Amino acid sequence: MHIATGAARAMENRLFRSMFEERKRVFVDLLRWDVPVLAGRYEIDQFDNGSAVYIVIADAEGEHLASARLLPTTGDHILGTIFPELCEQAPPRGGAILEITRFCLARRLRARERLEVRNRLVSALVEYALRNRIQSYTGVAEWPWFQQILSFGWACRPLGLPGSTSGRCLVALQIDIDGRTREQLQASGIWCPVGLAEFAKAA
Amino acid sequence: MIGLGQVQDFCAVAETIKDSRALASLMAEITHEMGFRYFALVHHIDLKPAASSVHIVDYPPEWVERFQARRLYASDPIHRASHRTNIGFAWSAVQSLITLSAADRSILAEAHDAGLGDGFTVPAHIPGEVNGSCSFAMGSGDVLDQRQLPLVQLIGSFAFEAARRLSRQTQAPCHGPSLTERQAECVALVARGKTDWEISQILGIGQETVIQHVKDARDRYGVTKRTLLAIRALFDGQISFADVFGR
Repeated sequence: MHIATGAARAMENRLFRSMFEERKRVFVDLLRWDVPVLAGRYEIDQFDNGSAVYIVIADAEGEHLASARLLPTTGDHILGTIFPELCEQAPPRGGAILEITRFCLARRLRARERLEVRNRLVSALVEYALRNRIQSYTGVAEWPWFQQILSFGWACRPLGLPGSTSGRCLVALQIDIDGRTREQLQASGIWCPVGLAEFAKAA
Repeated sequence: MIGLGQVQDFCAVAETIKDSRALASLMAEITHEMGFRYFALVHHIDLKPAASSVHIVDYPPEWVERFQARRLYASDPIHRASHRTNIGFAWSAVQSLITLSAADRSILAEAHDAGLGDGFTVPAHIPGEVNGSCSFAMGSGDVLDQRQLPLVQLIGSFAFEAARRLSRQTQAPCHGPSLTERQAECVALVARGKTDWEISQILGIGQETVIQHVKDARDRYGVTKRTLLAIRALFDGQISFADVFGR
């Protein structure tokens, strides 16, 4: 797994630039989200700022396979800024809570590869949380994706009722990460060990 | 009528549940609190001693018997409709999802005669797994409380996840047959209607090799026909519709 902090630094690196390109292919071209595109190639919005953390899974050739963006909940983030009404109470905030956004799998992947790469990214997110004393992830998910998130077997709960926005059914959720999370993901067959070497390389 | 608080309590309890009897009684309780009378938590397959499949049902016994006797798992209009959506739907709105045939109407009428009123079905579809659903039904004549439905949708999903977790515990992690990367590629092309020769050209491998991959894949499923192979592989998520139709 490869980690970068801050959008500007990420843009200096080929792998992370290809992440922004893939995000355009997935969220703009495929899912038709109404989000900005930079230079016709990169999907970059107002949350891609200096405090965003990017986690990327790459293949053996160093090509982007999957990625996610983590936003501190102490500042502006999607649940707190755009969809607070999806939470029954105030959106959870805190230094030990990050929001997972832009969970992205390369479009070229086939069904089985997608599952495998998805599992690697989910495992990397758990590993990242455990190493950085992150206790919870929050997020907004479309309903079909929410069902997948639920099926990973980790401690996931809804923060509010599902709501419909422009034809999409969205739900806000929180995932608690602790010493049991690895085991929970193992039991559901999701867990893939994330190599330490990769961690060091990404620093 | 329940609120988000009860949903969250349900999630917390469902997460710790150890056996399907406990889940059934938790389900019975929440079903009642939400104003329903019956529930069914099922994968849409006909496998009674089922390998790691979910099947926890509290429906009128008369209906359960008919349903099993006539093997309605796949043809039941409510199940079929649930394959067309990811979002929960009321049975009374089933026609917005599928066109009902005369046979469908008679199935629905029979369910009604057996004591099932209107209901709400929450599909449980995730890639790599057989389709399933969690349904809640009223007694005949009872009226569905529309305001409750977003909560019911959450409960349905968490209930299905709890059932999924239990069925994993009783079963070794390996589900059905699994195809190798190459076999899956070949089967996806079979599903596109390609011949062995065409597949060999597309993948840049020998025709004999393709024949062998397809044969091995058929053997893994224990089927002799290419069509059936493609359908089985689609059904349990070894290949996806996106692989067949392109993205």
